[in-house]
Amino acid sequence: MTARMLPHERIDEFVARLMQSAEVVAPRRVEVADVFYGPVSSPGEVAWDYGTAIEPLKRFLLPQRETMLRFSTDGGLKVEAECDERERVFLGVRCCDVTGLGVMDAMYGGDIPDPYYMSRRERSTVIALTCLEAPEETCFCVCCDAGPFLTEGYDQQWTSLPEGMLVEIGSERGEALARANEDLLAPAELDQIAARYRLAREAEKTFGDFKSYIAGAMAKLSMNEVDPEVWEQAAMRCTECGGCTYLCPTCSCFTVTDRMNGSEGVRERHWDACLNNCYAREASGHNPRPERSDRLRARFFHKISHQWAERNGRQACVGCGRCVVGCMAWAHMPAVTEGIRRGVMT
Amino acid sequence: MAEIATVCPYCGCGCGLYLHVRDGVVVGASPSRSHPVAEGRLCLKGWHAHEVVDNPGRLTRPLVRRGAELVEATWEEARSAVVAGLGKTLETDGPQAIGVLGSARCTNEDNYALVRFARGTLQTPNIDCSLRIQCVPDAPQPGEAWRAGVSTGQIAELDDADLVLLVGSDPTEEHPAVGARIYQGRQRGLRVVALSTRKHPLARLADLHLPVRPGGELRLIASLLHVVLAEQGMAGEGRPGAEDLRASVADMSPEVTAADTGVSADLVRQAAGLYLSSERAVIVYSAGLALSPQSGAAVQALHSLAVLGSGGSRRQVPVLSLLCRNNLQGCRDMGVAPDVLPGYASLGDDAAVQRFEQAWQCELARGVGLSAWEMPGQVRAMYVMGDDITRSIPDPEATLSALEALDFLVVQDIFMSPAASVAHVVLPAASFAEQDGTWTNLERRVQRTRRAVSPPGEAREDWRIIADVSRAMGKPFPYEGPQQIFEEISDLLPIYAGVFYPPLAVNGGIRWATPEARDAGGQAEVMPVPPPAEALEAAASGLRASDQYPLLLAADPTLRPWDGEVMVSQTLTVAGEFTVLTKDYPDGMLCLNPEDAKRFQVRGGRPVRVVSPKGECQMQVRVTDEAPPGVALVPHHQATRLGIMEISTDQAGGRPVLAPTPISVGPAE
Repeated sequence: MTARMLPHERIDEFVARLMQSAEVVAPRRVEVADVFYGPVSSPGEVAWDYGTAIEPLKRFLLPQRETMLRFSTDGGLKVEAECDERERVFLGVRCCDVTGLGVMDAMYGGDIPDPYYMSRRERSTVIALTCLEAPEETCFCVCCDAGPFLTEGYDQQWTSLPEGMLVEIGSERGEALARANEDLLAPAELDQIAARYRLAREAEKTFGDFKSYIAGAMAKLSMNEVDPEVWEQAAMRCTECGGCTYLCPTCSCFTVTDRMNGSEGVRERHWDACLNNCYAREASGHNPRPERSDRLRARFFHKISHQWAERNGRQACVGCGRCVVGCMAWAHMPAVTEGIRRGVMT
Repeated sequence: MAEIATVCPYCGCGCGLYLHVRDGVVVGASPSRSHPVAEGRLCLKGWHAHEVVDNPGRLTRPLVRRGAELVEATWEEARSAVVAGLGKTLETDGPQAIGVLGSARCTNEDNYALVRFARGTLQTPNIDCSLRIQCVPDAPQPGEAWRAGVSTGQIAELDDADLVLLVGSDPTEEHPAVGARIYQGRQRGLRVVALSTRKHPLARLADLHLPVRPGGELRLIASLLHVVLAEQGMAGEGRPGAEDLRASVADMSPEVTAADTGVSADLVRQAAGLYLSSERAVIVYSAGLALSPQSGAAVQALHSLAVLGSGGSRRQVPVLSLLCRNNLQGCRDMGVAPDVLPGYASLGDDAAVQRFEQAWQCELARGVGLSAWEMPGQVRAMYVMGDDITRSIPDPEATLSALEALDFLVVQDIFMSPAASVAHVVLPAASFAEQDGTWTNLERRVQRTRRAVSPPGEAREDWRIIADVSRAMGKPFPYEGPQQIFEEISDLLPIYAGVFYPPLAVNGGIRWATPEARDAGGQAEVMPVPPPAEALEAAASGLRASDQYPLLLAADPTLRPWDGEVMVSQTLTVAGEFTVLTKDYPDGMLCLNPEDAKRFQVRGGRPVRVVSPKGECQMQVRVTDEAPPGVALVPHHQATRLGIMEISTDQAGGRPVLAPTPISVGPAE
């Protein structure tokens, strides 16, 4: 393992250098007490001591609303594509969110790469920040192999030790970034690396009540052995707010719409949710998933079935706990996996 | 990218949300975790709130009618047209011939400025908001600043409640932030008692569901009062008014009312038992209670039940009145009503009138004006600010024709509403994301909305438009911004005294209280009001099903309440979700119990012919056990245009109500 030490007093200098060549997106406090990942204007803005951000990084790679192209129909059709080519460093990102990127990459970088997502993704450097204890009581990444420390998926992974940040390198891009700033870094000592493993074990013990029985649920879902009654009961609770999908680091549904203003038009992509009644509804009025229970089953199959895990390289829940926070009812991931396990929703 | 903290513009919950702004464009919305109502959650409408902001359908320039056409005009031209049009009516028919409608979508400052414009500048007492009709049984208590219909409690009280009495409300559809608390609460043992005709999801999950016959709500609540007072004895002992209350419901034993309410005496006694034994009960009701001509009395009866208290200490039970619109509470607080002044000051209160006259430097129109539903046929000119009158009032076609027949109509809105399409002048207003101001949510929480982007084109803030018109009519307003207006509100309205212009939206603002409640340490003292004998009587003799008309049809305001609403149906991505009814049930969604569907041999999705003593129409059927046997349900906003329902008058408040109507159902021709 290649690792360096970044002394605490040099962190701001390191961040300032990052800001010279890229937009640095880091956790920062907004208004009073809410934390979003967002572009920082000074190193001091980074909230190193945060819990989890309200949303994952999705907004920066797959915006809730993005312009894909502009067109006009005056004198023949003219089309101009818009692509975001900003260099970005995602700094201080929780491990669950970093893991989520891997699932998004499988969706948008797979057989037919999506140029909009990929142009952003390829210009992104990801610096993970490990969790020394469960950041929120809703966190359950330990059930999902997505934290509190990572072994892959990042360019650099930072762990806060008493003497500074232990900087683990996870990719060539991460190594290049370290090399470019070698004057701020020192080689990591063996006991510092050992401390990182000890801290990871201790951190795992601090995760609380929200357990998600992913493996058991995956087996039943993949074999089509979930009692249909479970989906009926989940549907009675779900209010179709879409919150779980919008907040999920790995949910990727979108819709495309044209906005016309005279002869000028804009093609936009917006977040959509497979739970919405009209998501799969066809122009004829026919809906292949007419009932909410059908849509819930489809969503959870997509998230944690073996069939989809094989495609994505892993199951698509990363245990960030945002669906627990954002659910208008009691139909979030831990509630549903528990329901699948017991054959009844509480 | 910047995150601007503001408040969701849809239902009365008032969830804190962030608008994401990039390069002057609103590109997203997300919930606030630290906000006391939202707590990190939003419903589908909130998640897409940003999409209405730069919608291509927005009004961006003033429009003035030239013959059959509305043509673009400058602000000066439009303002001159407004001044001339209103001036002509004032001159020929007098101020009484002008009606003004305020909006539960607009800010407190907009509505306050509008009331000043109506009662001060125009000298007309005809000011109201049409939403008052649809969903708030608004029953003033004589001599009291407090009104039944105003929440005494707050949403967060559900967090440690042990029982929720859910009356006529389906919060999963109407008020998701309240529904969320109940779902969460169930996980720690919160008991749910649901009183509702429709078996909505929370009624299904409830510990007890009292499936009340439409129109039987008042007598059902009266029978609860009867059990609590007469049989349990202790409740309400020593409370002022309790004896009168006891006498008024002496004959309302659940055995007597069962025949009218359709709820067995046993269920009522169980519900009363749960209520009395709960230490931290909360009563929640909404528009669903507005189904009968006695709903005003029913709301008062509920408040009385709350005053009697529950648990060992007979603690007064907090009541949440779930208002259907983001600023319906504020709109009423600001005096957008024909019978009160801002802050619920009485029109007969000389000191209060003088306070306003001094501040506004003019005489006030002191009379009791026409209500929103009386205006269209009785005035000659109207000024409508962001009010969806054709959606709220029964018989929208007649309302639209009446509007069309006016000598002069001004509509100020963000979209081309049906009323705007027949107006003489249309003024483009700023949306919630384009102006600063305050809204007051259903728990009296005064919160800041914030300007995230500039209004499109030439659209302007509502209060500014009104101030400009007033200035042009020779009565300038001294306001430079919403903060200044709010400070005046805070100075002149005792209920808003001590509420300063909140600096942020995320902190949840400040809840207003009456001076009496402030003195008493925050708890509002509400007097129990005995249900009027004639209301109890009328509730028993309501329309019934018969051999000729074997089903009872009820207009349900909790059934898909947002479908087709002006703002959600203009969102780009989820408009489909809110227009499903229009697509699948274009003539009206008739919900029938499977038993009844079988009995009348009708199938789901198919059109049927529905006949009532008043007329007949065609609707599409949805077969669902949400409707109890013998009862047919139709969304309220579709029912208004069917023309087959009896329109009667709420005895408390005089609003027209679509009363439960007997019908027969047969094959479509």
